[in-house]
Amino acid sequence: MMSSLAIQMQGVTKIFKGKKAVDNLDLKIERGSVTALLGPNGAGKTTIISMMLGLMNPTSGNIRLLGGDPRTRAIRGRIGAMLQDTSVIDNLKVGETINLFRSYYTQPLALEQLLLLSGLKEEQGIMASALSGGQQRRLGFALAMAGNPEILFLDEPTVGMDVRSRILFWDTVEGMASRGKTVLLTTHHLEEADQVAGRIVVVQQGQCIADGTPSSIKALASGRTISFTVGEEVTEEQLQGVPGISGIEWKGRRARLYSSDTDLLMRTLIEYSIPMQDIEIQSGGLNEAFQRLLQQDYKGIM
Amino acid sequence: MNYYIKSSWAQVQAELLRTFRNRRFIFFSILMPAAFFFLFTAVVGGSDVPSYWSAYYLMSMTSYGVVGASLVTFSQRISKERSAGWIRLLRLSPLPSGSYVLSKIAAQGAINLILILTMFLLGRVGKSVHLSWSIWLEAGLWIWVGGFAFMALGLFLGSMKNSDVVQMISMALYMSLSIVGGLWMPLSSLPSVLQNIAKFTPTYRMGEGPWALVEGRALDWTGIAILSMYIILFMVLSSYIMKRQEAI
Repeated sequence: MMSSLAIQMQGVTKIFKGKKAVDNLDLKIERGSVTALLGPNGAGKTTIISMMLGLMNPTSGNIRLLGGDPRTRAIRGRIGAMLQDTSVIDNLKVGETINLFRSYYTQPLALEQLLLLSGLKEEQGIMASALSGGQQRRLGFALAMAGNPEILFLDEPTVGMDVRSRILFWDTVEGMASRGKTVLLTTHHLEEADQVAGRIVVVQQGQCIADGTPSSIKALASGRTISFTVGEEVTEEQLQGVPGISGIEWKGRRARLYSSDTDLLMRTLIEYSIPMQDIEIQSGGLNEAFQRLLQQDYKGIM
Repeated sequence: MNYYIKSSWAQVQAELLRTFRNRRFIFFSILMPAAFFFLFTAVVGGSDVPSYWSAYYLMSMTSYGVVGASLVTFSQRISKERSAGWIRLLRLSPLPSGSYVLSKIAAQGAINLILILTMFLLGRVGKSVHLSWSIWLEAGLWIWVGGFAFMALGLFLGSMKNSDVVQMISMALYMSLSIVGGLWMPLSSLPSVLQNIAKFTPTYRMGEGPWALVEGRALDWTGIAILSMYIILFMVLSSYIMKRQEAI
């Protein structure tokens, strides 16, 4: 039976030494989509990918890849992955390493094609261990692609890549997506996720805290802010009663209001006769917005 | 079926290529035993040395080379592959989980065979060691079988993640076992305490068969039994550890 889902996680929890690395996560990834798991280091992204790949067993919950169990050989033949902290083996040339990995699959891509995809055509004959860090990452990409996978997992793929490698890499990933492959990547750069992914899942402390298209994630996060010093007589409850505010941060008597329409909010604040001093209106940059998204959630937990 | 043959063969081929490209292997398993053989058969001479000394020492040094290849080269490679994340990468490929270890053992078995043939050829051509065909065959086979005990020990050491520690331990084991087991110098030249300890070492048991053969003594099969016990012990230990490492 064909499942329309590439990846399905239901109520997945992973506990390491009494600490929850992944907390009751539900996630469905459609076939043919490019999805980014976005979150700071230690958010649980690598744990999530490891469980999807069957390298780690969840403490509880259920994971299906292409409708099957990721630990079976039939499913492994249909996926490829670029993992973190993976380097090459010694005394084997680039072409030999790729060919070795090709032999593990029943329908591998041609060596020529893999060299082309990874941009290692000229390096084919040199020892894999002599490659630069970025080139080794690209070799890792060639190995991930060796079996012509239906789902490609990329765990922080561009770490250690120079600008040229990065551009080449994302071009290739975009090409894969256009040929109907499913791509799941992790990153802690919102720009990167925004650039390649059709969907961004924001992860923090093992939970999904936001999920949507890049523009909706940005809209969620990049609303403008109005900051001002509030008169002594105004209470927090009073401010919270003002319509059009999506969040409030306090620093002493200084309040920062988040809103999707700051122009309207400004007029509303004046209508409500809120005493304000030193008014500032700012628009958050992408990363700042991302930080705020995560900070808000952090406050929710406290 | 075709898939298994193809992927295993590719794996074995890669192992052979990598081993013969490894300078450390060439030095410890071929150059050093060969040099020791020619040196000690030239230096040690005179009337009190038995006529079979060259053949005796050829067996010692062949064993020494095989121990080095199986213990040092083998264990370090596995440990490095573990720390480099290569084994993790293999685990998510469709390669059957046993294939990695089995191909490695098969390749190492072939390498040990090549080592034994090379050393025997050096002894025959370089030092005119004359033995009957059956003795060459039996001695070679004995050493080859003994090699598996050290492969199993290498596999056990290789299951440790820190390849620097593995390098230190395997080197120390290599040298101490070779000396105590009588591979460097005949056991009779060692203190009696060491001679008693030697009886329990796999290195002594590895040399014991071929030494008996070249001296014209009868083979003592307890040697093979003890080597087999070492093989089983280290295989069980290392597969237990590897299973535990996988189950996270």
